[in-house]
Amino acid sequence: MELLECVNVNKSFGNKEILKNVNLTIPRGKIIGLLGKNGMGKTTLIKLINDLLTPTSGEVLVNGKKVGIESKKIISYLPERTYLDKSMSVDQVIEFFTEFYDNFDAEKARKLLKDLDLDTSLKLSKMSKGMQEKVQLVLVMSRKSDLYILDEPLGGVDPATRDYILDTILTNFNEGSSVIISTHLISDIERILDEVIFIDKGEIALQSDCDELRSKDGSSIDEIFRRMFKC
Amino acid sequence: MLKKLLKYDLKSIFKVLVVFYILSALFAILTRLFFNIENSFIMDIVAKVCSGITIAMIINILINNILRLWIRFKNNFYGDESYLTHTLPVSKDTLYLSKFITSIITLLVSFIVIGISLFIAYYSKENIEFIKSILLPIADTYGSTVIKVLLAFFFIFFLQFSNTLQAGYTGIILGHRKNNIKVVYSVIIGFATYIGTQVLAIIMLFIAGLFNKNIMNLFFTNEIVNVETVKTIIIVAIIIYGVILVLEYFINLKLFKKDVNVD
Repeated sequence: MELLECVNVNKSFGNKEILKNVNLTIPRGKIIGLLGKNGMGKTTLIKLINDLLTPTSGEVLVNGKKVGIESKKIISYLPERTYLDKSMSVDQVIEFFTEFYDNFDAEKARKLLKDLDLDTSLKLSKMSKGMQEKVQLVLVMSRKSDLYILDEPLGGVDPATRDYILDTILTNFNEGSSVIISTHLISDIERILDEVIFIDKGEIALQSDCDELRSKDGSSIDEIFRRMFKC
Repeated sequence: MLKKLLKYDLKSIFKVLVVFYILSALFAILTRLFFNIENSFIMDIVAKVCSGITIAMIINILINNILRLWIRFKNNFYGDESYLTHTLPVSKDTLYLSKFITSIITLLVSFIVIGISLFIAYYSKENIEFIKSILLPIADTYGSTVIKVLLAFFFIFFLQFSNTLQAGYTGIILGHRKNNIKVVYSVIIGFATYIGTQVLAIIMLFIAGLFNKNIMNLFFTNEIVNVETVKTIIIVAIIIYGVILVLEYFINLKLFKKDVNVD
């Protein structure tokens, strides 16, 4: 059974079709890049997988079951925005995650936060946006999940922070689990990807193994992407 | 999971309300103290100022309570925080039930604090006699006491405020299904829902009137309502608002569960 399966998924807002007949499967134990230009449907697809949107038609299956409580237990999701209650301190947020997620490793989270030299008694509202994003990443990666979904984790951050984020992802995801990283900054993440999914105008343009694609085309994923999506 | 959600919901609402609870009780005590100082023009003015502040705090408690519940509902289910709320391994029924129970508990506590503040500030033999003179005839027809009649009025107001809250939730749920100007739609739909529930209450009262001549007289005569009718209306109003509250709960839950679409 596939970890994640999208079957004929369509999503429209009013008359605007955002996703068109999306069919894809995500296997276990892979790091997958969900790549596409801005506004092509990456975030919509991710929201559908996380039950934040309801498909207009088709279905999203996680471990063969429709998304719901069971899928939320095994999916660790990092949205593109800061989503924590800013009136809470980091300690309180850790307590919150411990209470709601059985697979959350509070010790690991504290260790990672200590590496950031972060005072965990500090309220999120007192932190910079960049620091809040790091806290979120640490919390998400401190869950022992089957699937990690990271939506634009590198968006709007400096190169040094990008390295920190990628290292945190690589060294902390649960063994045997899969990671979906949505981004348009391909050159930064190419080195860590096993598979890529290209999404264009709401349709899956390509799903392939990275090594196969590179050897077949004789160029990097970044170059292939630039060629495919040339304006 | 419900307990855990309730813990965070209640904490979030009470952490601000408790400030107003304390201020309301404090100014109620000061009002009482200063009113007790006789033959002092200045103290009389101070007492009146304290009294005004107590009333302001009481109004503040009600407004703050309702607004905070609506804002938290909106932020948790449709704002940035919804990305966390909707990805928690909790059913949508439980998520909504937590908000509903939080509304009931916080409103109930606010009403109790308001009652206590009013009692502290204004309890006197004369005031009690005045209230008794108004409510005793009703209490007598019940074969009841003034306290029980007061509790019945308290319960009606509480149900009425709870209905207002639920109408606001309906507005937020339906308003956030629109693609644009969601807040405006939320306010308009919430207001329309509130008016709708009041019309429904009148229709239900009319239906009750079909079986009770005194109630029907409310619709077709200008006669002053007799005590017997007031007694019936109190009971009918409690039933009507209770039924509407339950209906709103189930309708909102159904709407909430159907097609969640977070921005």
